[in-house]
Amino acid sequence: MNMRNSFRILGGAAALGLALAQPAAAADTLKIGVPVGLSGANSVVAPSVVQAAELAVSEINAAGGVLGKQLELVVADDGSGAQGAQKAFDSLVFQKEVDVLISMETSAARNAGLPIVNRGKVPYIYTSFYEGRSCSPWMYVNAWVPEQQVAPIVDHFMTSEGAKSFYLIGSDYAFGRGMLEFTKKYIETQGGTVLGEEYLPMDGTDWTPIISKLKAANPDALITSTAGGAPNVTLTKQLRAAGVEIPYGNLAVDEGTARNMGADAAGIYISASYITGIASDENKKFLAAMEEHFGGDLKTPNDLSVPQYEAVYLYKAAVEKAGSAEPKKVIEALAEVSFKGPRGDISMSKQRHAPLTMYLAQVQPDGGIKLISSFDNVDPGEQCPNL
Amino acid sequence: MSVLILDIVTTAAILFTVATGLMIILGVMKLINFAHGAFLTIGGYAAYIATVAGWSPWAAIPFAAVVGLVLGLVVEYVIVRPLYARPLDAILATWGLGIIIGQLITIGFGREVQFVEPPISGAVEFLGLSYSTYRLLLVLVAVVIGAGLTGLLYFTRFGLNARAVIMNEDLARGLGIDSTKVRLATFGLGAALASVAGALITPLVSVDPNLGLPWLVNSFMLVLASGVSIPGLMIVSLLLGGAQVVVSTYVSPIIGGLTIVVLAALILRLRPQGIG
Repeated sequence: MNMRNSFRILGGAAALGLALAQPAAAADTLKIGVPVGLSGANSVVAPSVVQAAELAVSEINAAGGVLGKQLELVVADDGSGAQGAQKAFDSLVFQKEVDVLISMETSAARNAGLPIVNRGKVPYIYTSFYEGRSCSPWMYVNAWVPEQQVAPIVDHFMTSEGAKSFYLIGSDYAFGRGMLEFTKKYIETQGGTVLGEEYLPMDGTDWTPIISKLKAANPDALITSTAGGAPNVTLTKQLRAAGVEIPYGNLAVDEGTARNMGADAAGIYISASYITGIASDENKKFLAAMEEHFGGDLKTPNDLSVPQYEAVYLYKAAVEKAGSAEPKKVIEALAEVSFKGPRGDISMSKQRHAPLTMYLAQVQPDGGIKLISSFDNVDPGEQCPNL
Repeated sequence: MSVLILDIVTTAAILFTVATGLMIILGVMKLINFAHGAFLTIGGYAAYIATVAGWSPWAAIPFAAVVGLVLGLVVEYVIVRPLYARPLDAILATWGLGIIIGQLITIGFGREVQFVEPPISGAVEFLGLSYSTYRLLLVLVAVVIGAGLTGLLYFTRFGLNARAVIMNEDLARGLGIDSTKVRLATFGLGAALASVAGALITPLVSVDPNLGLPWLVNSFMLVLASGVSIPGLMIVSLLLGGAQVVVSTYVSPIIGGLTIVVLAALILRLRPQGIG
């Protein structure tokens, strides 16, 4: 262990020597490391995340940078998993020596990267919604956790649809199970009952036995939390083919996937901290800037890419407040700064997490998203009480 | 109870439909076509093209058949034929081909899920139950495919030649049967069947570059356990598909996902020639 550390120090010293040899490049830029799933499960959404980061960086640089320094993005593919993340974090932290890590990733990749972040002592802003309670002295999160996302759907079903009994269906992995376990507890504290909770492996394609059980249980409402992409589409298609028409809340569908599912997605309720239809000036300005910057290559902004955009601005605000990019000072400042972005006022002030305005929306037959109601400043709850 | 029976019969029908293409090729050519999953994917994208072009969703099925047939003939001529004398290499080549097809589809259409118009949707009253119309229809389709293939093998010249090649290829050639042509036609037919199956399952699955992959292993196990015969495949689909539904319903869908593979391995351990 000691041996390895001293090699690290040697390596660090060598890199420092290199940096001194080219002082101009090192002094004038702040490097933002973006480990992200360009391949694997996240490859559908990752390009939109990189675009959002690119827009934020180019806007900030055009306006004079941060404390006179230009921002530079260093993107690394983490393969959407633990192994790739170790390599990506290791190279960003110890070889590229980035000043901050800002990224949307799978939970597996985040968990694999965190020990490297802790060792390298680099500020890390995690911008993906996740199952909650991941804590590190070097990490902040500006996306939602179950406490914020589940309540709007369950509350709406119980009050507006009069639902008392629920059925839960998910993919068999950490996020799917974590979300539904929280949902079950929440339904029960609100006085509802859960008639069944069923999971299919992530590569499973046939939901028939689960759907038959759902129909036999005859619940008032259905809430699902599958892996994004294929399992979500497969389940929704088979539910519709089986004639399931009860209120249906989907914890894992985004606007783009809903649109691709066509008529099958109609009626699905979603709960998110960002939808493209938010009517604020900041959102309109952001959407127009994305359109102008990327033109025909634009990936539709979404609940995973917008937090990435805002996180770059939050980092800028923290560096300016701290007066330097010194990691310890930036970490302290990150809890105190806020940024008014497309999702509204964002500050990561609650145990390293952010109170967020959540939107309950329903998919329309034409694939569009209709806003049903919004919930201001939903609290993330007790996430990291020891930090 | 009657829901369980419908679940079993419709699941078996889907498994049978998906596995026939693989079985025909294995039966006649003694070749395990690992590109089978990719041909299923091609069928799914053929249906997607039909949707984009604005055709009737029913037209997607013959279109998928034509696309599969043409690609199958080309693949047989270019890739499989030069490797006849090296069966292991031929299997590896089909494996590689599957990867290449998957990547080409990703380059052409992107990784994202595509929307395909379903021919029919919703549920219908059947035996006093409301049940998925499309799944019921797939039972009919499976019966038609099974009957059609049986007819082709037992009542046509091609079938006679194919059966001769299956039984003893050298002797068949000695009797003047052009076994090269039989192989070409068989691979084309198998690819067309896989492609049609891919188009047929689009209303139930996600159309993306990995559409066929999860079906490949189950198809492979079913075909081996069937003893490579049409009635054998029907029986195995009902038995193993039925076991999957029963285990998923009464134990857990997670264990249900393993049922087909485990039972097929068990059948092959007890009866290496399969049940047919």
